[in-house]
Amino acid sequence: MVREVLIVEDIHKIYDGKVHAVKGVSFRVHSGEIFGLIGPNGAGKTTTLRMIATLLKPTRGSIFVNGVDVVKDPINARKYIGYLPEEADVYTRLTGYEHLLFYARLYDIENVEETVRFGAKLSGLGDDLERRAGEYSKGMKRRLLLALVLMRKPHLAILDEPTSGLDVYASVRVRRMIKKYVSETGSSVVLSSHNMLEVEYLCDRIAFIHNGRIIDSGSVEEVKERYNVLNLEEAFVSAIERVGGRK
Amino acid sequence: MITGEMKTLLWKELLDLYRDRKTLFTSILLPLISLPLIGLMGLALIEQQTVNIAIVDLDRETYTNNLLNITLSSKWIVENLTRYLERYGYNVTIAENRDVVENPRIDLAVIVPEGFTVNASSLNSTAKIIVLRKAGVQAAARAEATIYSIIDYFSQNISDAKINALSRLLNTTIKPEALRKPVSAYTRIVGTFGQKVSPEIVYRNMFARILVLGFSFVVTPAASFVIDGIIGERERKTIELLLAAPVSPQTVIWAKLIAATILGLITALADIAGLLVYMASFSLALGVSFTLIVDPLLIGLHAITAFFTILVTISIALPFITRTRGIRSASNIVGIVTIVALIFFFTGFYVDYIKLPGDVLTPLYLIPYTHSILVIQAYILGYTLRSFLHILVLAIASIVILYIASRTVNTEKILTAQS
Ligand SMILES: Nc1ncnc2c1ncn2[C@@H]1O[C@H](COP(=O)(O)OP(=O)(O)OP(=O)(O)O)[C@@H](O)[C@H]1O
Ligand SMILES: [Mg+2]
Repeated sequence: MVREVLIVEDIHKIYDGKVHAVKGVSFRVHSGEIFGLIGPNGAGKTTTLRMIATLLKPTRGSIFVNGVDVVKDPINARKYIGYLPEEADVYTRLTGYEHLLFYARLYDIENVEETVRFGAKLSGLGDDLERRAGEYSKGMKRRLLLALVLMRKPHLAILDEPTSGLDVYASVRVRRMIKKYVSETGSSVVLSSHNMLEVEYLCDRIAFIHNGRIIDSGSVEEVKERYNVLNLEEAFVSAIERVGGRK
Repeated sequence: MITGEMKTLLWKELLDLYRDRKTLFTSILLPLISLPLIGLMGLALIEQQTVNIAIVDLDRETYTNNLLNITLSSKWIVENLTRYLERYGYNVTIAENRDVVENPRIDLAVIVPEGFTVNASSLNSTAKIIVLRKAGVQAAARAEATIYSIIDYFSQNISDAKINALSRLLNTTIKPEALRKPVSAYTRIVGTFGQKVSPEIVYRNMFARILVLGFSFVVTPAASFVIDGIIGERERKTIELLLAAPVSPQTVIWAKLIAATILGLITALADIAGLLVYMASFSLALGVSFTLIVDPLLIGLHAITAFFTILVTISIALPFITRTRGIRSASNIVGIVTIVALIFFFTGFYVDYIKLPGDVLTPLYLIPYTHSILVIQAYILGYTLRSFLHILVLAIASIVILYIASRTVNTEKILTAQS
């Protein structure tokens, strides 16, 4: 039986009573699955992910992570969630190791030492963990941040554009890190991305999101077949054109 | 309230603060050295100021009052005035006429008018020496005071001579003081309850007043720290990851407020240390006992009061800080709160709040800063119990305001109040 780690039911978000950013999004993520949200700028990916991560309250709709109601019991839900924000950065004056220690302790984990060791291994930063994170390159910072999120082995990892702004090599390292983590722990991931190569490499299932709505979804192969195209990029463009293109 | 999470959050805040040498420098070293420096610089510069004094003798006379057998010479007056003024370090020039005052380099002119010697030695008139002082020259005022005291001294000598001459003529004993100033007043400082006090109490009270003023120096670095801790973390993109952790945003904010208060407290201690250095040099200069001026309990009270004063200030500012767009607008809003605090502490420097009538003081009780001031003022005047009571009120007020303020903290607002 496939267990559903994430259930998103018809969620809406209206900012300040004006901007209707998410207009009825529903999807489910199974255990051990990597799910990709793909959409143009301003489609509502970050808003959706922030609602799942309990940082924004949905104007309507419900979200369950591991059976916990995210809206009603956010603090409890957070224990099962690891969230890497789109624009996350490090504390420049703390070392990489201190970051691992801080977040391991903050999550009230029983075995802090083991968690930190796992985080250190995940990050692949080695001796650089002793340096202040302010001196890291962008790629190193991202690997540290990802390790902070994944070291606790959350049931659901939410990664908002995990490789944006990284060069090819740094991106590949981050992708391998995600893939390896999922295969080793059997956790689930929901991520957003603009990079179709990345999505094809990582995701089991995807959803196209546009103007706050999911306009299509399925496994990567299904979607490509449906539009009768060779790659996801073309499928994405066709999907958007079918609903009337970009505003 | 100090849970494991809180400890972890505080650890991170304090570690970050410890490595932030710039903030530490400005909040510890500056108050530590600025107060003594202001004192020493002031003293040193006052010594360095030159004041140019011109003396004009328009009388040019030596006159003898035959009845009293007193001879006065304007030349003698001018010479002695010059000698004393030069001894005090002033530049003195002798001028021919009063036009010398038109010279902008002259700060002060002393004019001995025509008829001076005649009038000064007479029994039915008085003589005046005219002092022309340039407006706005601070040091000239000091010179003026010196001139007045020299002239007083001359006046007293002439008066003595006159009275002695009269006493000879009348053939009776006259004590000059009995004729010149038969009535005078005399003050002795006593404590609030009429008890004997040492003269040092005056300096101790001054010390306390400066302490009150010092509250205004400690709220600002603490407030900046909170602004940086919340809005700075947002701008540096570290807050979202933090807010996603399974701790309430209140706990995150509390940790920041406590860290800020600790910083404020360190500032307060640096402030006190600076003040102590200042008072030590002061007591050396005046030859008064340092230990009588400085009271350890007073310093303890100051530290506790500073702690709650900072807490109350940043709690009041908190709902605004979490809702503004950037560091600049947050600083402006916090600026308004701290200006209110500054107004209170500056007035507390020269107003005895404790002496205000009830109908003025009672509404002021609603402002927490009133209690900060009263803690120190009540203690200094010997109302120890009342001082403790004000600490209690201040502590309760700051905790209540902190509680209400932290209720308004909202993850969504912190995240989305973006510029
Ligand atoms: N704090 C906010 N207040 C008002 N509107 C907002 C706010 N944040 C986002 N929006 C709006 O909501 C819509 C969705 O934004 P969102 O950031 O979720 O898009 P996105 O898919 O993540 O885009 P990108 O690919 O650029 O990251 C946009 O129209 C955006 O302008
Ligand atoms: Mg986004």
